[in-house]
Amino acid sequence: MILTIAGHTFREVIRKKILHVLIGLGILIIIVSPFIPTTDEPDARVKMMLVVFFQVVVFLCIVGVIFLSATSLPHEIEDRTIYGVLSKPVSRLKIVAGKITGFALLSVLVLIILGLVNVVAIQRIASRLPEEFRSILKARNEFAASRFSIQGKVHHVREGIAWIEGGRTGIALWSFSDLYKKLADKSSLEVEFNLKIDCSRKDVDAIPLVVGIEDAGAGQCKTSILSAKIDEPLTIKIDREIVKKSGTINITAFPMHSMDYIGVTGEDAKLYSVQKGFISNYIKAMGVTFLKFLLIITIAVMGSTYLSAPVSIVSALVVFLCGHILDFVKDFSLVIQRYDVHEHALPPVLKKPNILLVYIEYLIKKPLEWVSVILPDFKRFDSLKFLLKGINISWETVGISVGYTALYAGICLFIASVIFKKREFL
Amino acid sequence: MDNSAVRTEGLTKVYKDFWRRKSVSALTNLNLNIERGEIFGLLGPNGSGKTTTVKLLLGLLFPTSGKSWLLGYSSVDLKVKSKIGFLPEESYLYKFLNAEEILDFYGKLFDIPKTERKLRIDKLIHDVGLNPYRKRPLSQYSKGMLRRIGLAQAIINDPDLVILDEPTSGLDPIASREIKDLILDFKEQGKTVILCSHLLADVQNICDRIAILNKGVLQVMGNVRELLSQKDIIEFVVKNLSDNDILEVETFIKSRSGDVLSINHPASTLEELFLAIIQQSK
Ligand SMILES: Nc1ncnc2c1ncn2[C@@H]1O[C@H](COP(=O)(O)OP(=O)(O)O)[C@@H](O)[C@H]1O
Ligand SMILES: [Mg+2]
Repeated sequence: MILTIAGHTFREVIRKKILHVLIGLGILIIIVSPFIPTTDEPDARVKMMLVVFFQVVVFLCIVGVIFLSATSLPHEIEDRTIYGVLSKPVSRLKIVAGKITGFALLSVLVLIILGLVNVVAIQRIASRLPEEFRSILKARNEFAASRFSIQGKVHHVREGIAWIEGGRTGIALWSFSDLYKKLADKSSLEVEFNLKIDCSRKDVDAIPLVVGIEDAGAGQCKTSILSAKIDEPLTIKIDREIVKKSGTINITAFPMHSMDYIGVTGEDAKLYSVQKGFISNYIKAMGVTFLKFLLIITIAVMGSTYLSAPVSIVSALVVFLCGHILDFVKDFSLVIQRYDVHEHALPPVLKKPNILLVYIEYLIKKPLEWVSVILPDFKRFDSLKFLLKGINISWETVGISVGYTALYAGICLFIASVIFKKREFL
Repeated sequence: MDNSAVRTEGLTKVYKDFWRRKSVSALTNLNLNIERGEIFGLLGPNGSGKTTTVKLLLGLLFPTSGKSWLLGYSSVDLKVKSKIGFLPEESYLYKFLNAEEILDFYGKLFDIPKTERKLRIDKLIHDVGLNPYRKRPLSQYSKGMLRRIGLAQAIINDPDLVILDEPTSGLDPIASREIKDLILDFKEQGKTVILCSHLLADVQNICDRIAILNKGVLQVMGNVRELLSQKDIIEFVVKNLSDNDILEVETFIKSRSGDVLSINHPASTLEELFLAIIQQSK
């Protein structure tokens, strides 16, 4: 029954001009996206294509789908075609669920068409890149350190970050164990550092860092000196042979010179196993994006069980945009916290967070945090960051997104059916 | 077990606007009892509350007070819907579908199995005379054709109770006649029919019982022939009488204290005349 209504809804909406325009526009944007000027990095174009697709094309499609799904029920009620359905043995819950399913089908279609065009375009552009830059098309699995310690002296600790001064006064050590079991056969290994770096010399944007990679069992150690840039992750390839022996590796790091500092936590070094899994990762990303569509459709249809067409469009758009503002709030507080990051070597009074900013943050953040409990958190579905960093979207992440969507959409569906049941049709 | 097809008790509907200030009493304290198998006419001028009654029966509106039952079930009960057919006041149909598609859609909503559905759709399209146009989108249908497809969808589930709101509105006399014939067929198949109309002529020939509403209040209810027959009036129909003889009969009636209201050559109703002419020209 739900499928009958879904199929009917799908059939009706597939004829809408706005949909054809949307798909055409989406394809156009995808085709144009590689020609947008970017930085000189060879893989910048691919990154740009991903960003444009997930930020612009998907956004446009969501707005389009909101328009269609928020107006469907109100239009049927207005032109009274709904009588034909209401006088049949179909519960109102099923009518609402059928509408939602119909638009979910529609978004699957749209995502498949546009996603396919996009991935084909990306593969074409990427195939022209030099081999070493195709790393953008990777899917890496992340391993967190099983143990983290600091050998020697910690200069000081602030907000959970341990700062180490250079010149072998202290060494940060991350251990990764049981790699044997976790690693896929063909994958290669790399470690990525996200250290905080500080340097009392002026006008320096990179410091020399001593990095050691050690096979814990055999005690073999390979040490190298690398240039670590401030505010940029540092990636180092690891020879897979090292894991073959013991399955546990230790990674150490410390700044070469005294007066250089690194701030470290247990999460700051991550081990990645690298596979060529871009396509499957991309499909997962599209799946998660679909969940985003499903959620906003449910919200739009829920609104439209009670509101008129224009009002339900506006309210669904507002909910969607507010769902993203939550993230902005987080960014905002990050900006304020930045003040702390580089000040450790200086007298603490010198840099203080702007009191006004803190005040504004407090004023905005608290109410928005409350709203955020009710509003859906759409940034949860942001899979772009995984693709850009080439990180494998874990099934756990997908599962959590599915669970969140199911719970949230389920509640919305319930509310929608209660409202719709109470509704009279004049 | 409730044996009536439709029963209402004190059914009342007051329309209120959004702010609950202005209100219209569309229906006041309606008590109906419609037997199974009869054709029941719900009559009244425009705005008398016929459509409101129908919507209340179908659960599209909720009564301000009172209750209604269809085939023994409460109006809001979903189960009863599979035994009911409904033709709304106007043809509110999905215009982008064609005749087959829309019947198929409604058939699916009734959960009629596929093969059965196909057969019924075929038969219905034939019965309402739309076979040549079955593949045409409804957006290209005339008003009469839409009415027919509306009637077809109302009986796709072979209902026990058919509720028709102004089935002949906007139709020419031939189409009206054909629709009335279809309704008589329903009765033959043992269905109960509720027929709403503001055209007395529509109802007169086919209804067993009628109720007349005005401003939401039930005025009369009863058997059509009984309501229409005027027992104190007698009409003679005579052929080949000379003018002199007519005068003589008139004087005779007057001498016996009768009132001559009119002495006429009987004419068929306009509808009959129209139909006869069209029939001849075929
Ligand atoms: N949605 C509505 N809001 C307010 N009043 C209405 C509404 N629908 C109908 N009415 C009023 O209710 C009365 C009965 O209307 P209706 O049942 O449609 O009459 P009928 O079908 O006999 O022509 C009319 O006075 C009409 O103006
Ligand atoms: Mg009416």
